[in-house]
Amino acid sequence: MNWFKVLLVPIALTSQLAAAEVAVIVHPSNAAAADQAEITRLFTGRGTTFAGGAKATPLNLAESAALRADFDSKVLGKSSSQMKAYWSKLVFTGKGTPPKELADDAAMKAAVAADPTAIGYIDASAVDASVKVIGKF
Amino acid sequence: MKITCVAALVALSLAAGSASAEVKFNGFASIKAGMTSAEDENLYGYDNSVDYKNESLFALQAQSELGNDLSVTAQLVSRGSDDFSLEFEWAFLTYQINDEWRVNAGRLRTPFYKYSDFRDVGYAYDWLRTPQSVYDLGFDRISGASLYYNTSIRDMQSSMQFIYGAYDGDVTLQGVVSPTKIDDIYGVTWELSQDWFGMRMAYLRGDVTIQADAFNPLFAALNATGQASVIKAIDFDKDAGSFFGFGMNFDRNDWLTVFEYTFVSVDDSFYANQDSYYLSLGHRFDKFTPYVSFEWDDDEIKPEIYEAMPNGHPLKSTVAGLVASRRVDSSTANVGFRYDFHSSAAFKFELTKAKDRLTMHRNNLVSVGVDVVF
Repeated sequence: MNWFKVLLVPIALTSQLAAAEVAVIVHPSNAAAADQAEITRLFTGRGTTFAGGAKATPLNLAESAALRADFDSKVLGKSSSQMKAYWSKLVFTGKGTPPKELADDAAMKAAVAADPTAIGYIDASAVDASVKVIGKF
Repeated sequence: MKITCVAALVALSLAAGSASAEVKFNGFASIKAGMTSAEDENLYGYDNSVDYKNESLFALQAQSELGNDLSVTAQLVSRGSDDFSLEFEWAFLTYQINDEWRVNAGRLRTPFYKYSDFRDVGYAYDWLRTPQSVYDLGFDRISGASLYYNTSIRDMQSSMQFIYGAYDGDVTLQGVVSPTKIDDIYGVTWELSQDWFGMRMAYLRGDVTIQADAFNPLFAALNATGQASVIKAIDFDKDAGSFFGFGMNFDRNDWLTVFEYTFVSVDDSFYANQDSYYLSLGHRFDKFTPYVSFEWDDDEIKPEIYEAMPNGHPLKSTVAGLVASRRVDSSTANVGFRYDFHSSAAFKFELTKAKDRLTMHRNNLVSVGVDVVF
């Protein structure tokens, strides 16, 4: 089945190249830990506080940002369309409001650095000391 | 255009809120077209000529946070079937008591079915339309209040809804649009879900009163011949209606399964006991989601209504005919797909074959549509 391997190698390479590493970030003063299940809970509106009980404000990247699709698929395990369908169910029945959206990594980093309750994500290569990374995906 | 007091209040507070608070606007729309395959076929409001209006709709929702955990939401819907006139489909105040408890009050959707709350939002599901053999109660609007209780049970999300209210509107009975009141509606729904599995139960009841003037001559004749008890057994006069629903869904490894069963009855009326259910199976191939679904509707009549009448009574056969007209035995098969051609829009296609198992008449329908959210 050599032809199969030949096919698979470029596919594996492309998908690695295409998908950037997502760094989930919080304010440097935030000591809370959050695993993938916890992050999913916060970004799907099923929870509003960090594990320690402090208020959490999830911040999303706009759909136009390339990293948004990576976050949706790698962290939440859904496609961006599935997430949009999920939020439509809540928004149009008065059951929830999706996280506020920011245009790009720079806006996200600034917003998280300025808000002790914030949780967001940026490309891992854009991380600096103004924010704290709590998970990489 | 009918606006309840609450709806008007909500609209007012939205207008007032806009001065101080931020008002968020969201919307959705569906453009659907369909036609049946032959002259003698009619289904879901379609006939043998292409129709673009019947199921098309546009909706705009405004929501405003008023502070102190209070918010106000109004959803205006314009339906092609109603000549695109605007109606307040939802209009309510929300008070978020804490993370677990929330109250909505105003004009709400009656939570009969699993997809009741968002049945207008086609983008939120894969089918072109919700299974009509099951989603066929003629009304699902309620004025009242709803209490929600959301918690986590291990890795499951538990969501309970308690509802109380009333319906004042129309129901189509024997082909005639009749003024209807359903008072003292109360009910509870419970939904348990996790990543790939969900389960839902619903129970609601209410006192049903339908003003069906077409029945008056028959009722007068029954009364004149000493059959007042038969009138009571036929009419809808504060008669207890009940609804039970059970649903399940699986979404694992891109395989999608949904099953829903419902039972509806109205005591002391000629309304048949309705059993209906559907099963749907689909598979998600990234943006392309084909599915098949099967629906069944089996409505059992109440022969005891006319059997109680003396043999040879001149109206016995009329009453028997009326009661028998409520018998339904039908099955429907659908095959279709959803294609996410745009990040905010989905294209849908569905073929429907509905079979009346009493007359063996078949209705075939082809439908296409685009659902968007914005």
